[in-house]
Amino acid sequence: MTSRDAAILRKARARDLRDVVGQAHIIVCTGAGGVGKTTSAAALALGAAAAGRKTIVLTIDPARRLAQSLGLKTLEHTPRPVRGAEGLEAMMLDMKYTFDEVIDRHAPDPSRAQRIKSNRFYQQLSNSLAGTQEYMAMEKLYDLHHAGTYDCIVIDTPPTRNALDFLDAPRRLTDFLEGRFLKLFLAPGLRAGRTIGRAVGFGTGLFMRAASRITGAGVLEDLGDFFQSFEGMYEGFKQRAQAVYRLLSSPGSSFVVVTTPEAPALREARYFLRRLEQDGMPLGGVVVNRATPRPAAELAHADAEALEAAARQLAADGTEARVAAKLLHLHRDLADTARREQRAVTAALHGVDPVALVEVPRFGGDVHDLSGLELVGRHLHGPVA
Amino acid sequence: MDTADLLDIRVALVTGKGGVGKSTVAAALAIAAARTGRRTCLVEVEGRQTFSRLFGTQPWDFSEREFRPGLYGLSLDPEASLAEYLEMFYGAKRISKLVVGNAAVEFATTAAPGIKDVLLIGKVREMERRRDDDGRFHYDSIVVDAPPTGRIVNFLRAPEATTELVSVGPVRHQAQSLVDMLLDPARTCALLVTLLEEMPVTETLESTEALRRLGMQVGPVVVNRVLPRRFADDERKALTDDLEVEHLARVLDGAGLEVDTDAAQLLLDRGREELARIDLQDSMRERLTEHLDSGLFELPEIYADDFAADEVGLLADRFEEAWQ
Ligand SMILES: Nc1ncnc2c1ncn2[C@@H]1O[C@H](COP(=O)(O)OP(=O)(O)O)[C@@H](O)[C@H]1O
Ligand SMILES: Nc1ncnc2c1ncn2[C@@H]1O[C@H](COP(=O)(O)OP(=O)(O)O)[C@@H](O)[C@H]1O
Ligand SMILES: [Mg+2]
Ligand SMILES: [Mg+2]
Repeated sequence: MTSRDAAILRKARARDLRDVVGQAHIIVCTGAGGVGKTTSAAALALGAAAAGRKTIVLTIDPARRLAQSLGLKTLEHTPRPVRGAEGLEAMMLDMKYTFDEVIDRHAPDPSRAQRIKSNRFYQQLSNSLAGTQEYMAMEKLYDLHHAGTYDCIVIDTPPTRNALDFLDAPRRLTDFLEGRFLKLFLAPGLRAGRTIGRAVGFGTGLFMRAASRITGAGVLEDLGDFFQSFEGMYEGFKQRAQAVYRLLSSPGSSFVVVTTPEAPALREARYFLRRLEQDGMPLGGVVVNRATPRPAAELAHADAEALEAAARQLAADGTEARVAAKLLHLHRDLADTARREQRAVTAALHGVDPVALVEVPRFGGDVHDLSGLELVGRHLHGPVA
Repeated sequence: MDTADLLDIRVALVTGKGGVGKSTVAAALAIAAARTGRRTCLVEVEGRQTFSRLFGTQPWDFSEREFRPGLYGLSLDPEASLAEYLEMFYGAKRISKLVVGNAAVEFATTAAPGIKDVLLIGKVREMERRRDDDGRFHYDSIVVDAPPTGRIVNFLRAPEATTELVSVGPVRHQAQSLVDMLLDPARTCALLVTLLEEMPVTETLESTEALRRLGMQVGPVVVNRVLPRRFADDERKALTDDLEVEHLARVLDGAGLEVDTDAAQLLLDRGREELARIDLQDSMRERLTEHLDSGLFELPEIYADDFAADEVGLLADRFEEAWQ
């Protein structure tokens, strides 16, 4: 760790997410799978609402009990007030429904929309094309923003393999829809729509021949039909994607990167932080969730041998002394783990500025109700007025 | 399948929710298999370089390397697999050159999502079937740090569904032979890794059920990061009900450790949190055993200020002990 790193980290640790909760118009929680994105998003939204801001949290895959606490049922895609939290609404993203809505909006007429929606390739696109879920989350975000009803919109992100997908999603999807890959391999000089038809019909192009060997001809027919139906619609998608990107880059937005103190999650957090920096995206802070609590300063500095000697002496005595001995051993073990975690966090943040760095301890059980979320919130942003 | 048989699995698909220790468990199992004289290959399928980092080796790639005696490692990614696949089936060096390293790979895998898994599992199958000159299988054990269970389920659900759009062509045919391998209990076993926490346990139960229904052999659930039971019943009671912070401070003082009440309070808090976690752990274990007949295989939480090859080695000891 350089002294510059140390100074940046010290400053970041002194800050929390209270400004994010009090001011950001859009909060995006991102990070690797299972680290606590959904939990953090809900806790931040609760904090924003408690600060008197009209807030909505758009969640993606809440655990069942959390969903219940937020008053969410599956197969619903409308905002619902959260009982017990004034000013807070919640809603669950329904991927398929949102994608259909998007098609309806961009299609020139209902019959074209219908044709696309009944295409076999379209029907499984959202499972197969990396980034589709993320794109849909952004679409919904933009809708909510546009509606103008909310002071604060908190959005949870899908459990992607890679947090990076979130920023790349619009480009990937629009590139794909534009058929750029296809065009690359087709005979030059022909117009896209006809070209695809011909490629399917006659198998022109080395790539198409190879591709049809891999996938079989049926795929390419569905695909050809899909791209033909899409002709003329890419522009709409592209513009929307750009608008969302601008919205996310604007100072009213704030990314919150969530991670655990374990190496694999931290690695993704690091990539994402660097990416945000490169793209000039506004970072609100980093949440290290499920951290092993750090020992009291006094004990942290007690030397290991003295602890061990005391524990040995106590272990031979009555119940309470034995408890004391075991508490010392527990302390030693947790301190080892906490040190490992701190080192991993420091290494992952080398050369990047986390802006605010907050730790949420690992609790004895999961977080599934409003009081649990409030507890998380106290670590994220302190008490709100 | 019994915990004593864990090292005898020919193809172990180690799967589970992200972050539970899937890669760690796969590595530990592979080390134990190799230590007990099995020629073993540890397979990474998402190209994250988890293992080369863990073991401090050069980055892994598509070719198998022996990184410890009898222990080989390999990192697969769909692009490399696609190349090999094309070469294997078409001798098509020219086509694969064109396709590989190109956006077209992404395109092809998007158009036919199952193809990625066909290629990954195809490579595993090739290793599983590989024989030496003397006719014996080349590898005794192949341990795969597999994708999340949902993807395996999709793959098995029917090769037609996996390769939904791939209704003709060689992939369709190959997919079936891969399913055959996965469903053969003499060849393949899924090992689900979990923590004793709400969400991973729920997912483990669902995944086990889904895999079983599809006819796949599911081994004992590997429970990672199990906390030791430190406190005996009377100690537990003392810690919960009787022990007061001033008293604790005095007791510590008497043993030559001077702490103020704040520090003593913190020790107490940690102890009580630990008891709460143990309670959760117990109830989660109960939930698992109630719903599963496959048994549990528990691995302890390792307390160390580093987590690398040595720590994984400690977990490998547990696999070895179970086998003996
Ligand atoms: N600090 C914490 N301590 C204990 N459990 C937690 C903590 N944060 C989250 N959890 C639990 O971990 C599980 C995964 O959290 P979740 O927010 O759904 O993660 P993600 O959305 O990133 O996949 C949930 O069961 C949640 O209640
Ligand atoms: N038994 C264990 N004891 C202590 N820490 C562990 C244990 N297993 C895993 N870990 C920690 O969890 C981290 C993530 O483990 P990993 O196997 O990479 O998870 P996954 O592959 O499921 O995402 C490891 O880097 C290590 O720090
Ligand atoms: Mg989530
Ligand atoms: Mg892993």
